[in-house]
Amino acid sequence: MKRSTAVSMGSGGSDGSVGRSRAADQNLAIIQIRNCLLVSIQTELHDRLALDLQESLMERVRIADAIGVILDVSAVEVIDSYITRILNDIGKSVRFMGAECYIVGIRPAVAMTLIEMGVELDSVHTALNLDLALERLELLQ
Amino acid sequence: MRTVEDAVGAVLSGAISAITQRSIFNRLGGLARTPVGQLGPVERQTVLKELESSLRLFARGSSAELLAACERALSDVAGTGTAASSGGGAGVGGGGAAAAASKATIHKTFAVDQEKDIATARLEAWSEAVRIGLSKFTAVKVATAVSELARNIVFYAGKGTVELRATEDERGPSLHIVATDKGPGIEPRKLEEIWAGTYKSQRGMGKGLLAVKKLVTDFHLDTGPGKGTTVTCIFRGER
Repeated sequence: MKRSTAVSMGSGGSDGSVGRSRAADQNLAIIQIRNCLLVSIQTELHDRLALDLQESLMERVRIADAIGVILDVSAVEVIDSYITRILNDIGKSVRFMGAECYIVGIRPAVAMTLIEMGVELDSVHTALNLDLALERLELLQ
Repeated sequence: MRTVEDAVGAVLSGAISAITQRSIFNRLGGLARTPVGQLGPVERQTVLKELESSLRLFARGSSAELLAACERALSDVAGTGTAASSGGGAGVGGGGAAAAASKATIHKTFAVDQEKDIATARLEAWSEAVRIGLSKFTAVKVATAVSELARNIVFYAGKGTVELRATEDERGPSLHIVATDKGPGIEPRKLEEIWAGTYKSQRGMGKGLLAVKKLVTDFHLDTGPGKGTTVTCIFRGER
């Protein structure tokens, strides 16, 4: 946990006036913890942001020789089939590169809803929290 | 109509800066714009709890005093300024009946034509569900269903509307959602694939409609090439 760097992605953000309504200008920070990459999703994931995230994650996995990517969704109150698709896509592309993707912090009500909808989150691993995901990724080494 | 924001804002002005007030109201979301008269007991507690934690952080003076003043303002339905505590069980019962009556008439319509409207629609749906007394889990299901329907409108039709209507009968409260657009409609062949779960869309999973159908108590779809799409669904709460 000593080394942690953060890069921002997307445009904007320099003026510092990032509002919730201007999600397009929002940055998703990719934080490195040892050889894992961590992204905390606190905003609306729309098309462009999701693609940007996927691209910069791929690039960072390569540069950092990452073995794992962890997406923290504990702040996300609603996950619908579209967001599930985005998460699965990220999981698949991370796996293609030889790393593993963990989704952590799915809320109980969100999990129940996904089950009822019959939507699968099958291209990623899940863990209760960040700590447990790191623990499992460490075992991979 | 005097909203929660109006009532609480009047109490807080002078004690808390306008910017901080804004952030408190943003945290309350749809509840801040709810008329005081339509606030149920559960939501009132939610508002007060949120206020309590915010006031403890931001209030310069005594946060307990401000909170008590907010509480009075929120129970003063008529907005006359005289603390209207009609005292005892009768008052509570009366308030309940009034709330039930107003619940039945709630009717909101949102225009949906860009991605950020999806977030707005589902936030409104969530707070509406909580407001009429559906459980927290059901509220998340409501928000998810609205998210799917609003997304379909933005992706496939470009623009349309999402309508929320709350009703109440002896079985309990229920929330009706109507998503309407005048887009291309869905061809019968595609519809078959959708219900079979084999349909794959370019942009999403192609499972949105099927997912909504599984989530709701009642589901009705009216669509066809050239006539647009209308989805009507009902979430029923239990008593």
